[in-house]
Amino acid sequence: MRGADLLVSYLKQEGITTVFGYPGGAIMPVYDALYDGGLKHVLCRHEQGAAFSALGYARASGKVGVCIATSGPGATNLITGLADAYMDSVPIVAITGQVTSAVIGTDAFQEMDVLGLSLACTKHSFMVTDKDELANVLQQAFTIAKSGRPGPVLVDIPKDIQLADVETALAISGKDPIAQHDDERLEAAKQLLANAKQPILYVGGGVGMANAVDELQRFVDSTGIPSVTTLKGIGAIPNSKPYALGMLGMHGTKAANLCVHECDLLVVIGARFDDRVTGRLESFASNARVLHIDIDPAEINKLRQSDVSLCGDLKDILPALTTTLSIHEWQQYCRDLKVQYNWNYDAPYRSIYAPKLLNQLSEKLPSNAVVSCDVGQHQMWVAQHMNFTRPENHLSSSGLGTMGFGLPAAIGARHARGRQDPVVVVSGDGSFMMNVQELGTIKREQLNVKIVLIDNQRLGMVRQWQQLFFEERYSETILTDNPDFVTLASAFNIQARTITMQADVAPALDEMINSNGAFLLHVRINEADNVWPLVPPGASNADMMEKV
Amino acid sequence: MSLAQHQLKLVVNQSPEVLERVLRVVRHRGFKIDQLNWQYEDGELILSVSSQRALHLLTNQLAKLVDVKDITELNMMKTSKSA
Ligand SMILES: Cc1ncc(C[n+]2csc(CCOP(=O)(O)OP(=O)(O)O)c2C)c(N)n1
Ligand SMILES: [Mg+2]
Repeated sequence: MRGADLLVSYLKQEGITTVFGYPGGAIMPVYDALYDGGLKHVLCRHEQGAAFSALGYARASGKVGVCIATSGPGATNLITGLADAYMDSVPIVAITGQVTSAVIGTDAFQEMDVLGLSLACTKHSFMVTDKDELANVLQQAFTIAKSGRPGPVLVDIPKDIQLADVETALAISGKDPIAQHDDERLEAAKQLLANAKQPILYVGGGVGMANAVDELQRFVDSTGIPSVTTLKGIGAIPNSKPYALGMLGMHGTKAANLCVHECDLLVVIGARFDDRVTGRLESFASNARVLHIDIDPAEINKLRQSDVSLCGDLKDILPALTTTLSIHEWQQYCRDLKVQYNWNYDAPYRSIYAPKLLNQLSEKLPSNAVVSCDVGQHQMWVAQHMNFTRPENHLSSSGLGTMGFGLPAAIGARHARGRQDPVVVVSGDGSFMMNVQELGTIKREQLNVKIVLIDNQRLGMVRQWQQLFFEERYSETILTDNPDFVTLASAFNIQARTITMQADVAPALDEMINSNGAFLLHVRINEADNVWPLVPPGASNADMMEKV
Repeated sequence: MSLAQHQLKLVVNQSPEVLERVLRVVRHRGFKIDQLNWQYEDGELILSVSSQRALHLLTNQLAKLVDVKDITELNMMKTSKSA
């Protein structure tokens, strides 16, 4: 069997049905095998689009996403997607073609040291040097991508190995993470919980990655501990729960940040004290003891010393910790803050207020809808004003914050989820242009993806910081020369419409949701609308700035 | 500022790129290599590193490398050099 055929049959054996990629010289044998290999291949229009589609596929389905690219420029174009998957712990496997073994290291045409490039942005990477090792390498790649704390794995395959007659037998191997949650530690953790008077759960993306949403919700229902979530934790605890205080951190809710500030026990579940979450670290929950639960031992005591740590699978640990507590006063206090600082959508003007529009959109969408967003103010508004009941329904480039994520990630989600699950992109006028070529993928595959383009004619998030922290010197953030987005959509056979007034919002959202096929809703908003509240850089989360 | 010096023994897989992987993590996580002894055939790497950061911040990250099989701290000397 040719190496290329082995790859295709191995992917099928792994349960992969859809791959995303772009062909080229050094990966041609693989594309030959894909021609009638029985796998669905989605031709993206840039390898970065393929990487983000694989990422969106993985995040929306919980399975491994696969992307394929040629050597040299194809592989370098994948790098940003790998970095994004690395920061957000998303399991993807990237397959890259490499020049023929004999010319590696001679600066051959389209040769690039991809293994070298991969070191900083993958969980692990391989270059196949022995043709009979290919099957083993592929198996290891998938095992590593999925196991422990998931992440991206790259497999670089020289062209001669794709063409060679290869061994197909597999040897079993793999290094499993060591669980560190013995009975003694569990007891200590239970003691911390029992003694706490003002506990808070700080819930991160690990809950969704561990597929432990149900376990978490049972834990929350039984203990009644008020909770806050990170950007990646959104959906793990629905906002409708009485003591769910919403997102914490730089653009978190005031209730979330104040309750964390005052808590006496911080229960950290699948989260890692990111600086966008903590603000000034020394003043983050500074009177609290810390119980840290995570699968990755390297996150324990990395930024904040814990009093007790449990390292392992949340699916096992959370049920073992589930207990009942009596913390009524604290619950009531948190609940009062939640009500007091609830969002207010009564903007005084007739033009469109994006937070209100997104909240309306959220009400109109069914709970199984996937929303994929880009990076900027609109991303924070999605996090603040849309409601999610599952983490896999909210796709947002969190750790890396990569503009251009939204559209290709939605294309991946569209392939991951059944037709009954709507897929919506919420993008900004800046971010949308970063992977706008993926409209070509939507056209080619006739994908039912709805796009809400929040257009402030600005790189709004940067503009907001220039206004607040750089004396209103708006350096290179004004995009009044944007293209005509409706015409742009029509070039790809995508229905589109522009709205500018609040009164148009409800009918336009209905038109978009009820349309057949792709639809782009171009929403013009005021460039002065900012994201509030905000913790200024270097400040404590307790010192949030309000609308200025 | 006090720079703590540590000696680590790593048992690693015999793969050509394993040294690069280890060196990248050491640099990126804020440690400087003072001395290094590398026996490819034995899969054994002895590193003297120094940093103002706590050692577990490095060893926990090294332990995550798929090619690193074992890490032992051989000794620890504290010196007071200014950074
Ligand atoms: C690839 C990339 N380049 C630059 C940035 C820095 N950045 C963060 S938000 C932002 C502006 C985004 O503009 P837009 O997509 O229009 O969103 P808005 O903030 O206006 O809602 C920029 C430039 C980034 N996050 N990613
Ligand atoms: Mg914008």
